[in-house]
Amino acid sequence: MTIVRNKINDFGCHNMHQFIEILALFILAAVLSNTASATVPAAGRADRTSFAPAYSRAVKDYDIPDSEILRHDNKKLKLAEALNDGRPLLINFVFASCSGICPMLSHTFRQVQTELDKEKQSFHLVSFSIDPENDTPEVLRDYAKKFKAGANWDFYTGNLATINAIQHAFNVFRGDKMNHSSVILIRSAPDKAWLRLEGFAGPDDVEREFYERLKSDKLLKN
Amino acid sequence: MSKLGLKALSGSQCFYRCRVEKNNQNGTKMIRMIVCFKESDMSGLSLPNSMRNTIAGWLRLSSIFLGFAVVLTQPAYARSSQTDNATLELGRRIYMEGLSASGKPLQGQHPNSTNVEGADAACVKCHRRSGMGGLEGNIAAPPITGKFLFADKENRPVALLDNRSPKDVTRAHTPYNADKFAEAIREGRTIAGKKLNPLMPRYRLNQAEIKALIAYLTQLSSELPPGVENNKIRFAAIISADADPADRDVLVKMMTEAVKQRNASQLISAGRMRMPIDLIPRTPREWELSFWQLTGSPETWNKQLSDYYRNGPVFAVISGLSNSTWEPVGAFCEREKLPCLLPSLASPPADPGFYSVYFSRGVALEAGVVAKYLLEYEKKTPTRIVQIYRDEENGRIAAQALSRVLKNSTIKTEHRVLSGSEPEALSAALKELQPEDSVMLWLNPADLAMLGKAVPKPPEVSFYVSGFLAKDHFDSLSPAWRNGIRIVYPYELGEKRQKNLAQLKSWLKTWHIPLTGEALQSEIFFNLLLLTDLTSQMLDNLYRDYLLERTEDMLSAGTTSSAYPHLSLASGQRFASKGAYIARFNQNGVLSADSDWIIP
Repeated sequence: MTIVRNKINDFGCHNMHQFIEILALFILAAVLSNTASATVPAAGRADRTSFAPAYSRAVKDYDIPDSEILRHDNKKLKLAEALNDGRPLLINFVFASCSGICPMLSHTFRQVQTELDKEKQSFHLVSFSIDPENDTPEVLRDYAKKFKAGANWDFYTGNLATINAIQHAFNVFRGDKMNHSSVILIRSAPDKAWLRLEGFAGPDDVEREFYERLKSDKLLKN
Repeated sequence: MSKLGLKALSGSQCFYRCRVEKNNQNGTKMIRMIVCFKESDMSGLSLPNSMRNTIAGWLRLSSIFLGFAVVLTQPAYARSSQTDNATLELGRRIYMEGLSASGKPLQGQHPNSTNVEGADAACVKCHRRSGMGGLEGNIAAPPITGKFLFADKENRPVALLDNRSPKDVTRAHTPYNADKFAEAIREGRTIAGKKLNPLMPRYRLNQAEIKALIAYLTQLSSELPPGVENNKIRFAAIISADADPADRDVLVKMMTEAVKQRNASQLISAGRMRMPIDLIPRTPREWELSFWQLTGSPETWNKQLSDYYRNGPVFAVISGLSNSTWEPVGAFCEREKLPCLLPSLASPPADPGFYSVYFSRGVALEAGVVAKYLLEYEKKTPTRIVQIYRDEENGRIAAQALSRVLKNSTIKTEHRVLSGSEPEALSAALKELQPEDSVMLWLNPADLAMLGKAVPKPPEVSFYVSGFLAKDHFDSLSPAWRNGIRIVYPYELGEKRQKNLAQLKSWLKTWHIPLTGEALQSEIFFNLLLLTDLTSQMLDNLYRDYLLERTEDMLSAGTTSSAYPHLSLASGQRFASKGAYIARFNQNGVLSADSDWIIP
């Protein structure tokens, strides 16, 4: 077949051009999907159309930046002050206008809260807003109410640069709030390492990982 | 050179005409084919426009490979008999509100045991109003309208799942039937037998509910809206009666030039494959832009807008100008379900509705910022704030907004309304100020220019000036006033601003358009870039709700190509910039921030 080069006509029609585009697209798609699959870790792999419920776990050290943040009750705190009060800590990153992943993350925290309260376990849930300009303390109070957040669950916002810095510090910054990842961070005590759960950890998974973390850090007797 | 022409029908009734010019190796022979279908032949099938386009696309290929043996068949899902209203309404309630047939909240189970119910379980949460889906983190909620689920391969459109990655387009699959659809909803299994993403809940819908949901999805985003034609998309910019004529000229010039440029770049000969996304085929459509100039009082605008719309319906309104109210325009857009994107205004409607998106809340935002500054930032909170404004819409709205915010605070508010264009009105308004007072000047550039004449030496109190109403023009202020005021400044400052505006400036230079006002021109320029990206990413899925959803998503990154520090939206958000600085002119006469970016 000879190469067909078509020109624009009065109706902007370009048959062969489109056909070549489709071909090129499929070739490009094939090449790109091969390269992409090689870089995704198997445990946390998130296939677009279907995947097995899975999350990856990793133990990490993070440096907490010296930032000032704003709690949902309007109280200003240093980040370290907010996180290092001694209670075992669980962190997630959400925003109030997010309709898919965040409600699921928040539902998970809500159920974890219920279970840990029931077991009289000391804990501290922290949700950082990654849309701080929209999520003022007032918006966060409404959000907290919606998910029946109790005394051990705090929501934080701050200025955009601070919130971005915090996301960078915990390696969850993806440049775009719609692009955020589903991450839960667990730490048994201020001097211990962080456990990072990435993917779809349900409430049972989170609770189990939480207790295992306490146990491995020798902060749980049984 | 010889030409061979094949022409079935000709003239203005042609639905589609196509010519392939083929050059052989020596470049001397050219074969021209013209396929032509009479518009009436197509409309006899009462197909929606979008389907015609799909068929047209298919025809284009088949006309080459199959000759001209064209059989038009309606896809199975479109053949089903008219759905009764009650079924459709039940489908809508499930989709939009998360309510089951019994009226109880819908229950959705996630496989890892977090359950959702009611509004949280409604399809619209992830698949959006348009049914075209969206992106949540790294997970694509795919399009689920009838065209994507139930149509056979030839009639299925293509949609982009992830605008950051043009390889992520909807893939071919066997069409769902009612049973397979029920399996997906109830058991989370795709037509290919795979498990659905765990983000998708499982629902125990009964047969009637399944049927209703199918009926709803089948009609959802199924017909292209008015303003989208086979070879054209129409847009309008709305200019109110009181808009500044100079601003209007700038807007008309910039937009006309950009549309001309955009249409030229769509020509195949100009090379349309500029970005990977251009590899995805779509129907080439020209942009046609109208300027809807409103005249007379705002009460008559609705009628004028309706007339404009009737005579030449548009797909969306992009940009606009007003020096006073925008309420009638906002109401019109809501009524016509017409996206009205990002007009340049100082006081947009307080309730934006679904179909309008604004750069910010305008003077109401400034009122919130100044209130927060006075209460939380000032070393000594003033006992009273005197608000000086003209008896005009913008001034009134601004002053009322500030009074409202300060209602339960320790700061008293006093309103002083200017009348007449003489400096005496201003000097009268600036009398009897106490040292504990602050003064808020909700003034336009003409009044600001008069300050020096009215009162040469500013009284010893804190003065605040509205950046929106000053239109970012402070040159006319006398030196004493320039140094004495603080400005509620809703735009970016310093180097970052210059970086944000670099693209605008080089574009203006290229097209020989003078830079007359960075704030206004950057808003218009931002809109033109936005519209180009939006329409490019939507491919042939040119639905209005989808346009708004794409706008929400596109702005999620906090885009910075305007005079604002960043513009950011998300699902349901309608005001993109959410704060302002308190700024003042420093010793070198440069406007610089006196506070951080304050969000009220």
